[in-house]
Amino acid sequence: MLASWKQLIFQILLLLISCRHINTTSPDPTPPPLVPIDSLPRDVRRAAFKGEGQIEKVELLNPVNLELVCTWTGHQNKESNITGFWRKDGLEIENSHLTVQLENEQYQLQQVFNIVSEENLGNYSCVFESEVKIDFVVAVPQIGEIRDKPVVTYVGDSGVITCKMEDSKPMPNTWKWYKANGTDKEEIFAAAEPQRYEIKNNERKTKLLVNNLTMADSGLYYCGAVYTLSTSMGHVELKVITYYEPLKPFMAIVAEVFILVTAILLFERSRSKKNDTEGDMMSDQTNTLSPGENNGLEGSSSMRQRKT
Amino acid sequence: MPIASNDELGYKPLDGGWGWVVVFGAHIAIGFAYAMPKALSIFYNDIQEDLECSSSEIALMSSIMLAVMYAGGPLSSWLVLRFGSRPVVILGGLMCGVSMVTASFGSSIIYLYICVGIIGGCGLAFNLNASLNIISKYFLVRRPLANGLAMAGSPVFLCILAPVNQYLLDSYGWRGSLLVLGAIMLNCCVAGALMRPVAQPPSSPPEQKVEEQPNNTNSNLKESCLKNISFFDVSFFKDRGFIIYLFGSIMFIFGAYAPFLFLSAYAISQGIDEHSAAYLLSFMGFVDMVVRPGTGLTANSKWIRPRIQYFFSFAVTYNGLCHLLCPLIHSYSFLLFYTFCFAMSFGMVFALIFECLMDLMGPQRFPSAVGMVTIIECFPMLLGPPIAGLLVDITGDYKYLFILCGSVIFTGGVFLFVMNIYNDHMLKKEKNAKDREQNQKNMEDQDHKDIKRTPKAMMEQTEFEVTEDNGAQGDLEIAETPN
Repeated sequence: MLASWKQLIFQILLLLISCRHINTTSPDPTPPPLVPIDSLPRDVRRAAFKGEGQIEKVELLNPVNLELVCTWTGHQNKESNITGFWRKDGLEIENSHLTVQLENEQYQLQQVFNIVSEENLGNYSCVFESEVKIDFVVAVPQIGEIRDKPVVTYVGDSGVITCKMEDSKPMPNTWKWYKANGTDKEEIFAAAEPQRYEIKNNERKTKLLVNNLTMADSGLYYCGAVYTLSTSMGHVELKVITYYEPLKPFMAIVAEVFILVTAILLFERSRSKKNDTEGDMMSDQTNTLSPGENNGLEGSSSMRQRKT
Repeated sequence: MPIASNDELGYKPLDGGWGWVVVFGAHIAIGFAYAMPKALSIFYNDIQEDLECSSSEIALMSSIMLAVMYAGGPLSSWLVLRFGSRPVVILGGLMCGVSMVTASFGSSIIYLYICVGIIGGCGLAFNLNASLNIISKYFLVRRPLANGLAMAGSPVFLCILAPVNQYLLDSYGWRGSLLVLGAIMLNCCVAGALMRPVAQPPSSPPEQKVEEQPNNTNSNLKESCLKNISFFDVSFFKDRGFIIYLFGSIMFIFGAYAPFLFLSAYAISQGIDEHSAAYLLSFMGFVDMVVRPGTGLTANSKWIRPRIQYFFSFAVTYNGLCHLLCPLIHSYSFLLFYTFCFAMSFGMVFALIFECLMDLMGPQRFPSAVGMVTIIECFPMLLGPPIAGLLVDITGDYKYLFILCGSVIFTGGVFLFVMNIYNDHMLKKEKNAKDREQNQKNMEDQDHKDIKRTPKAMMEQTEFEVTEDNGAQGDLEIAETPN
């Protein structure tokens, strides 16, 4: 009994401590805590400086302690000590200035960041002497295979928009759909309007079916792959047009065909009438009713000729 | 052969003039026929998403279209023999247009199979078959060139339709695109309107008046003549040259399409990026476009025309050789060179494939022969790519596909070459034997011919007196047997 009370107190204490940590969010761009939380797994990413504009992609799904390690071989004349610091999203992280020693002919800068929520994601850069920089883009897996051309559908028809997360990337926990409303995004709840919207979720694929389309349904739709840390977005444009749109070129081409065929046949008829009036035996006059008889008769006449 | 065909036709073919307009019409009709099934693949992804079917189900649509296009040959031949080329091509154009328009309202893949595959394929069959037939009526001396120009329609229209289809897809979606494509395909009716039926022979004015009203005795005579040229004439199989040609072309068709379909996938597997791989196919199209009329022109020359069957077997062998050498290629520039050779040989074979059949069978038997050849070629065409695909799936390596296709085609080419030598040898022997018996009859025929012949035609025809072929023999045989 006493043991269980002790356990309970210990757990409450632990809860309070972790709550205190969570409550350190503030409206200013927060420097990520530099003290690692032990319960999170550790993920180490290394990068060696190769050239200007070097970007390393770090894909994360779940909260981790992310250790970023940068190495640089230095200039020709290598000094024994140089300064290095870290930036997040272009802003210098406070208290991150360090003096880096030359070890094994290279300088190494390393830092552990707690990536626990969406705010912790972003562009982390390690900087040597304010000149050599390596960027780490820390983000959830981005939707790569997404349609860049608009989906064209018709009024009254139903449209399908798909989003897929590649097999090489981790599966999202779930999918969400949003419709663009001006600059905002409104989430689409299929359950609220089952006749209009239908969302079919497969592990890697999601489909949004919009029934009974109207012109108002045109616009950008966003699919969100939901991971623990954040949601990665992709957008597809839906274009709704009326049946009259393709009908216009259709009628134009049919008219063109009709005009050409009539013109050709009339030209032929007038030419053959001219030949008839000239009394020419080798007339092109063919009844379009019976050109087959020509062919049959050619055969039969030549055969008859040979027989005689 | 040409000497006998002049008699066969009963008139001297135009070989120019309105004939070139007819070639233009045939170019359009043949272009649509070969390019449309391939160009439809641009819509696959969108149709797949909308109708929720697998990629093999949607690819079947094009396969059905191609299969029906070839299988509809005999029906088309029969219609052409009865009504002439013009109504058949106009009907074909209408069917294609209707098929696309109805397909745009489709809501299931089966519906698309029927509309696009069967009705569309049938329309294309009419277009293809009737166009080839009218070329054989209008041309004799310049026929290889006419065939080369007409068959060039296939790469030209593929190069035109691919971006057009993409533009239509982006503007109107797949449904609107099929609607507009239906209208575009109605232009085959324009092509058909250009295919003016051939002029009447001068020695038959009484028949001209008679045919304007349906006459019972005339129609009975016609029917008995037509029965001899039924659309499924088994007597062709007794013709040695025909059998040789058939085997050679079956082997070619079996291996012809698979490398074409898997070329970009192979390029990507060799580490080449997608854009460059897609560029290979357009490069192929451009080379093909130029090679087909070029081959027609070459085949028309006085050195090659008499030996056109050997030229054809050379083209087939060259194609097979290209594929056999492909697995040795790994760099992009060599792959480009391979594509160039592939396109060149592919174009050469297709420019000659129907010309050789016309050369073998003569204009009288060609309509039924082409129907039969296309329906038989249906099977290797349908079997080739899936078997090749299966080979790629099992072995996981593209090189076996090229080796298989290359060896089949190469064997076909060598077979054609060797058997043509044998055939010519046998024909010479038979001709020598017959000449001794029929000396008297030949002299009588010569008298008839001298009245009709113009000096120019005499000069051109003396060039061909060296060659023999089955057409001449066959027609002489028909002349002998009493009707």
